[in-house]
Amino acid sequence: MNLVAFKILLHDKAKYVALVLGVSFATLLISQQSAIFHSLMHASTRDILEANQADIWVMKSSVETLDQGYPIAELSVNRVRSIPGVQWAVPYYQSTAQLRTEDGRMKLVQLVGIDDLSMVGAPQEMLIGTLDDFHQPDAIVMDIAGYTNIFPGVEPTVGAIVEIGQRRAVVAGICYIGASWSGMPRVYTRRSLAVSMARETLNPVTYVLARADSKHSPEEVAKKITKATGLKARTRAEFMGDTRTWILKYSGIAENFGITILMGVVIGVAIVGQTFYMFSVENLKQFATLKAIGISNWVILRMIMTQALFVSTIGYCLGIGAANFFFAMTSTQLSGGLRGMFMDPSIFIGSGIFIVLVTLLACVVSVRKVLTVDPAVVFRG
Amino acid sequence: MSVICKDVKMAFKTAAGSVNVLKGVDFTAPAGMLTMLVGPSGCGKTTLISLIAGLLRGASGSMQVFGHEVSSMSAAMLVPYRLKNIGFIFQQYNLLAGLTASENVAVPLVASGFDWPRALSQGKELLEKLGLGAHTNKLPSQLSGGQQQRVAIARALVHSPKLLLCDEPTAALDGQAGQAVMTLLRELAVAEDRAAIVVTHDPRVYSFADRVVHMEDGLISKVETVPDQKPPVDPHGTSH
Repeated sequence: MNLVAFKILLHDKAKYVALVLGVSFATLLISQQSAIFHSLMHASTRDILEANQADIWVMKSSVETLDQGYPIAELSVNRVRSIPGVQWAVPYYQSTAQLRTEDGRMKLVQLVGIDDLSMVGAPQEMLIGTLDDFHQPDAIVMDIAGYTNIFPGVEPTVGAIVEIGQRRAVVAGICYIGASWSGMPRVYTRRSLAVSMARETLNPVTYVLARADSKHSPEEVAKKITKATGLKARTRAEFMGDTRTWILKYSGIAENFGITILMGVVIGVAIVGQTFYMFSVENLKQFATLKAIGISNWVILRMIMTQALFVSTIGYCLGIGAANFFFAMTSTQLSGGLRGMFMDPSIFIGSGIFIVLVTLLACVVSVRKVLTVDPAVVFRG
Repeated sequence: MSVICKDVKMAFKTAAGSVNVLKGVDFTAPAGMLTMLVGPSGCGKTTLISLIAGLLRGASGSMQVFGHEVSSMSAAMLVPYRLKNIGFIFQQYNLLAGLTASENVAVPLVASGFDWPRALSQGKELLEKLGLGAHTNKLPSQLSGGQQQRVAIARALVHSPKLLLCDEPTAALDGQAGQAVMTLLRELAVAEDRAAIVVTHDPRVYSFADRVVHMEDGLISKVETVPDQKPPVDPHGTSH
């Protein structure tokens, strides 16, 4: 009887198209907004993602989020190194600084100082130059999006001279970095140079990046570090979680996106539910005829479920395709608010499950009407 | 006797109170005959055939259809009972709009467990017998009223039911098409092992009946036997 269900569904092409478009629109709205939200959350932990060699981040106890990094004494690095279970520990510096181009334009940049020797925390994808170029005098490595922002219309190349914190800096390399929460251009350099550019006087570090040895878990070592030094030590995953929680709590992003996603849900439920309900109600007499002929409620339920799953699958594919197309078109741009936005596989799966549930919910409401229809209506003209 | 109803009473609850639609109906429809149930609107004809079909429940009295006591069957038992034993012809044809003529005819067979190709081929075969061979792949909307009713007749008979229930089969048709449909019904529906009940208030088609049962105000008022001027009954039923 599934073939009969398909034929009933596809016969009324206008309603079929309306149903599919309703599901597509709901999918697009929900998946696109969820993906942007997810991408922003992902971007908020950009430095932690980049410095993936370290599995423990050590910081001042008052720090709640990545961008709040507060200077601590360089001595902290050695204190962390002395804790049993620590395989290595290196300094990491992070600050904002004023960059000035040769023609006098000013830009606020995110300055990242990586360990001079180990290069832990260096960008993972160099587009021009290599990590060795960090050792050139006054060398900085700029991310491609930042370069395009600072030097609009200029083909990315090394050799440009700028001033950061009244100190000369030379672009020695260009790297690719995913979008960050702040959206500021990112400038990487050796930590020794970074503290100088930020005009720090006490040679501080912002974080100590460490790795647990193979005999200890990062959680265990982080607890030991906190206990022994009084500093806050968090595993990579914990610190990402802290940062995201802080942003959700204080930025208002959760409410904003929550409302939009909720709107998507409500619109999705309304469009899909209403259209499907109308579709079933308008076909009520056909279902009543089937019931009168002797087709059981269970078979009719299966027919309606088949229709719902078919519509939701087609609608979902179109909607998720449109959302993907949107990100394919916008996420590769080098600047602007949608840079680095992407669709995580969890969004594909989540929105798919959600759409199927919404359609089935709409179906349940319609089915009730169909299953309770008195088959004797077939005799009423 | 194939359909025997004894003292059937049925009341509907309305806002104004309880309305007695059937007030103790004694009705029979023998196999091998076409029984017409006639009477003014609201006299209870449709209620009676709905009860016989098991589409309505809640009546008192006894309703036996080929040995099955319909009034004591549960809702779950009534579904396969209808599928196996009853063929329906409706006033508005009630064909499924998205299905072609042959697919519509095939529906009861598919519901009974036939595979589509086999059901379709039987459906086409029957339509060809009904003179609709050129229209098997047409949708109901592409057929005239008379053609649609012939498709509905084919659908009602394709699974060889024991009881055929027709509700005003000619009401939506003009005189000529109505006569043609009744001729066809007479030829195909009446068989020795099948009873056919036709509800109508179209006196022009009374002559096609073997018996005419008059209903009035929820009761049988008169039973007439129509003189036999009709073609003999096909002992093998629908002939497929």
